[in-house]
Amino acid sequence: MWCRCHNSAGVTRDPQQDNPGGNEVRRFGRSRGTTFALCGVLLMAAIGAEASRWGRETASAPPTPPAVRTLGQEQVVLTPRSASRIEMPRGVPAAHASALAALPGDDLLAFWWAGERESGADVKVYVARWDDGRWSAPRPVVDRDTLGDALGFAVRRIGNPSAWVAPDGRVHLYVVATGLGGWAASRIVHLVSADEGRSFGVQRVLPMSPLFNTSALVRTSPVGAADGGWLLPAYFELGNKYPMLVSFDEDGDPRWITRIGSLTTALQPALVAVSGREMRALMRDHGDDRRLQQAVSRDGGEHWEDLPASGLANHDSSVAALRLRDGGFVMLHNEQVDTAASPRQWLRLSVSGDAASWAPGVDVLKGLPGDEFSYPSVQQVGRELHVTYTFQRQAIAHHVYDISYARTER
Amino acid sequence: MNLPHLLWQNVYGRLGWAVVLAAVVLAVMALRQPPSRRTVLATLGTFAVLMSLPGPWSPAHWIGLAFQRPSALGIALCVLSIEARWSGRTDRPTMPAALAGAIAFAGGLLYLDASGWIARGVYPSGFGPVGAPVAGLLIGVAAAAALVMGRGTAHALALLAAVLAFALCRLPTGNLWDALIDPFLWVWAVVVLARRVPRPRRRRRHLPVTSAGPATVL
Repeated sequence: MWCRCHNSAGVTRDPQQDNPGGNEVRRFGRSRGTTFALCGVLLMAAIGAEASRWGRETASAPPTPPAVRTLGQEQVVLTPRSASRIEMPRGVPAAHASALAALPGDDLLAFWWAGERESGADVKVYVARWDDGRWSAPRPVVDRDTLGDALGFAVRRIGNPSAWVAPDGRVHLYVVATGLGGWAASRIVHLVSADEGRSFGVQRVLPMSPLFNTSALVRTSPVGAADGGWLLPAYFELGNKYPMLVSFDEDGDPRWITRIGSLTTALQPALVAVSGREMRALMRDHGDDRRLQQAVSRDGGEHWEDLPASGLANHDSSVAALRLRDGGFVMLHNEQVDTAASPRQWLRLSVSGDAASWAPGVDVLKGLPGDEFSYPSVQQVGRELHVTYTFQRQAIAHHVYDISYARTER
Repeated sequence: MNLPHLLWQNVYGRLGWAVVLAAVVLAVMALRQPPSRRTVLATLGTFAVLMSLPGPWSPAHWIGLAFQRPSALGIALCVLSIEARWSGRTDRPTMPAALAGAIAFAGGLLYLDASGWIARGVYPSGFGPVGAPVAGLLIGVAAAAALVMGRGTAHALALLAAVLAFALCRLPTGNLWDALIDPFLWVWAVVVLARRVPRPRRRRRHLPVTSAGPATVL
C-alpha cells in the first residue's frame, strides 16, 4: 500500500509535495505500468464474471401464456359446501393473515401467524395441511429467533406469510420480518421447503429497498407465469404506501422487481392474469377514496398503469382474488355496511367475467359492529373453491364452495 | 437478477461493520489526539473479533436488525480513513467534494424513488441484467483510468473495489446501488457538501459613535 518516504535526514516527507499530482501512483510502491497491468487483470476478471452471467441468462422470448376461457354469457356460481375453523395451536389466543397454497393433487397448505398478540415475541408462522377433507394439526414453521439465527442478524417480529408451490413441487414461503421499528420497518424473508412444507430452509432476505432494505411486506398470494415462474405481490408502507411485485423464475430465483403504478395510498395488491399478457392488480385503499384501487399491466406484469378506483368500497382492508381454471374470477373483500359499522364485519365473495366489473357472489360472513372477518386467501382445488380468513383475530376460518357456471339472461 | 449467497452476505456484513465501526471510533479518537498505530491496530482487531462472535454475541447481529449491511463503497472509504490514521496522513480528504456530490445527487434520486415520491424504478434498475453490469464496468474502467493516471488514486481504488465486489460476487445484495450507496454514506456525503458551502463572513459590528457633547436639555 502507501509508503511513507524519508529523506536522507530521516525526516518524513510527503511525496506529493515533491511532485504534486503526478506521482501519487508511486505511493503504492508500484510503477504506472504495474498499476495498469493490475487494473487490467481486475477489470478483465470483472468482465469475465459478467460475461459468464450473461451467458447463463440468455434471454428467451417469453412463452405465450395459455389461452384464457372467456365466460361469454355464463356466470360463476358458488354454492357453499362447508364452513369450519382450522385447529389453532394450544394456548395461543391471537391468529391472523392466512395464506393458502395448492399442492399437487388435491391437498392444500394453509400458513398463518399466531401468538399471544400481534407483534408479540412468541409469534410463530404455523402451517396445516388439508388432506382428504381434513386439516392436520398445526405445526410451527418459523419464529423470530430461528429466523434471526439463519439470517445472521436479529429479527424483531414476524408477520404475514405468503406461499407458492413451484412446478417442481418445492414450497416457497415468504414471511414478513421486521427490523428496528414497526411493520413499516419490515423485510421479506424467502424460505423453501423440498418436502411439501414439513421443513423449511431460509433462502435469503429479498432485496427490495435501498433504505437498509426497509419497508417491504407481503400479504397476498403469488400468481403463476406461463414459463413456470411466478409473480409475488409485495408493498412498501413507510410513509407513502405503494404496491410492488417480484418476478421469480421456475427455480425460485428472483428475476426483476417493479412498482405497480404510481399511487401512494394503495397496498397489498391481489394479482389476476386476465388474458394473454394482461394482468390486473386489485388493491387495498389507504387514501381518501375508500374504493378498491386498480392497476393494469399489458406485458405480463413488468409495467403498470393506474386505473380509476373501482366502484367497490374498500376501507383499508385486504382483498384476495383468483382466476378460476374454467374461466371467470372471484374476489374476497370486505363490504361496507354503513358508515357506523366496522369496516371488516362483512366478508363477501364477488364474481366477475373480466376482473373489471364485479357482481356479488355469496356472503362469506356478515357480522355485527366490532366483528372482524378479514385478510382472506383463496385457492381452487378441482371444482372446489377454498377460502380462509381471519376470524375475530382469534382463529383462521375455512369455507369451501362448489364452483359451477350458469347461463345468464342478457 | 443474481443474488449473493446468504453465507457470503453474512461474512461481508461482519467484516464490513468491523471496518465501519473501527473507522468511526478512530475518527472520534482523532478529535482529541491522533491515534497511534498500535491504537489503530487494536481498534480494528477488537471490532474484528467482536463481529466474528457467534449469533447474538456479535454486534453485527444487532446492527443488522436495523441497518442490514453497509455499502461496499462505504466500507472502502472507511478503509481509506483507517489507512490515513495508520499512516498519519491528514492532508487527504476521506471523501472529496466531487465524490460527495455524485453520492448526494444519486442518493437523493434513489431515496426519493424508494420512498414513493417519484416512480422511476431507480432501485430496480440496479438489478438490470444489462444496464447495471455495464454501468458497474464503466465506473470500474473510469476508476482504473484514474488510478493509472495518478488522479485521486485512493478514492479511485475505493470505487474500483466497490465495483469489483459487485461484479465478482454481487455483494452486498445483488443490486449495483447497494454496492455504491447506503443511507449512512449518503448522509456523510451531504455533510461533506454542507461543510463546503461558503459561509457569509461575519461583519464586525461598528457601533455608531455617540456624540460626546452634552445632552440637550430642554
